[in-house]
Amino acid sequence: MSPQDTLSGESISNEVSQEKYHGESNENSDENQILVGQAPAKRIVPPLNFCPVERYLYRSGQPSPVNFPFLLDLNLKTIIWLANEEPQDSLLVFCDRHDIQLQFAAINPDGGEDDNPWDGLTEHSIINALQTIVDQDNYPLLVCCGMGRHRTGTVIGCLRRIMGWNLASVSEEYRRFTGSRGGRILVELLIEAFDTNSVKIDHNRAPPWLLTALEQPE
Amino acid sequence: MLYYKILLYYRIYLKPMMYIPPLNFSPVVSTDVSLYRSGYPMPLNYPFIRDQLHLRTIIHVGDKQDLSPEYAEFLEQGNIQFHNIYMDSCRDDGFKDRMNQILEIVLNVDNYPMLIHSGKGKHRVGTVVGIIRKLLQGWSIAGIYQEYDIFSGGLKGEADLEFITMFETSLFIRKDKIPGFVTSVTT
Repeated sequence: MSPQDTLSGESISNEVSQEKYHGESNENSDENQILVGQAPAKRIVPPLNFCPVERYLYRSGQPSPVNFPFLLDLNLKTIIWLANEEPQDSLLVFCDRHDIQLQFAAINPDGGEDDNPWDGLTEHSIINALQTIVDQDNYPLLVCCGMGRHRTGTVIGCLRRIMGWNLASVSEEYRRFTGSRGGRILVELLIEAFDTNSVKIDHNRAPPWLLTALEQPE
Repeated sequence: MLYYKILLYYRIYLKPMMYIPPLNFSPVVSTDVSLYRSGYPMPLNYPFIRDQLHLRTIIHVGDKQDLSPEYAEFLEQGNIQFHNIYMDSCRDDGFKDRMNQILEIVLNVDNYPMLIHSGKGKHRVGTVVGIIRKLLQGWSIAGIYQEYDIFSGGLKGEADLEFITMFETSLFIRKDKIPGFVTSVTT
């Protein structure tokens, strides 16, 4: 085992010899072994409230430039941005440069004077976002809004309803991401009232995990 | 009265049964392999785990050593490899050895799909996931703290966080079995 085989390539200590060596059989030759020990020197920074949702589907708050190396590792094809206002210019440039489709799902696409960022999503915009999510062609996919709390939570909550999750579990997941001020009852009501049949799922284009979820247990 | 009977009948027999994921359930890795985290699965979660996750391996980190007969039967029926790793807290003696045991399982692509669970899916799983994020994926400490916080519900876990930050090990694993999500170990 040479020092080059270590994670960082620099600090290998006497400890190594004391550790259990897992080459008990001949098939595990030295060439096939590698040492895991320390975090890499270069770190990646996930966006605010980042979390995987399903295979190649992620949620987060608005990514900033510090998160771009992290996003690159996800190989995103699409980002759904849930807000009326445009995201930061840096994100627009980033998406442009890396060929990521940035989809706006305006909170209230019909405009109107009550157009403010504190409003919940309209049913129309939820369906819009979900229509993108149920199409495998758009993956890997990130759903995000300003903080990754309420608007993202609404869309993911409605997705969980489509997947046949019970309401208590959907709410538990939503509240997990809402921070110290907790969940909004209006968001939970919106999720509860959501008509799961309003999203058209094409079984030839849906992600496999969604198809599995749509098979109800006996 | 009749109304309630009809309602009950409707609830039990006509309404499709719903999936109930375990407490604090979430994917940790959802790319080339599936790694999940959660609290202790209860019998009402079994249909979800069986039908949706198709697990090959479950790791339990906790101080409970004996399994309920239902859980044992569930594991047997699903042909799921079960690893019971004793862990009271990260301050235990010999924690590093147990963490190495876990890493060894996590670093073998043959063991997926995999679920790691503790009692409530907060602190013990949070520590294990934090170490995976740091060592195997190169996440920043701030990102790891944030994730720990999301799942612990704002409960304090300074000792765990300190521990994740300080944790280092040296473990030999097989190169050809490393899952794709592990970006920090370059071969």
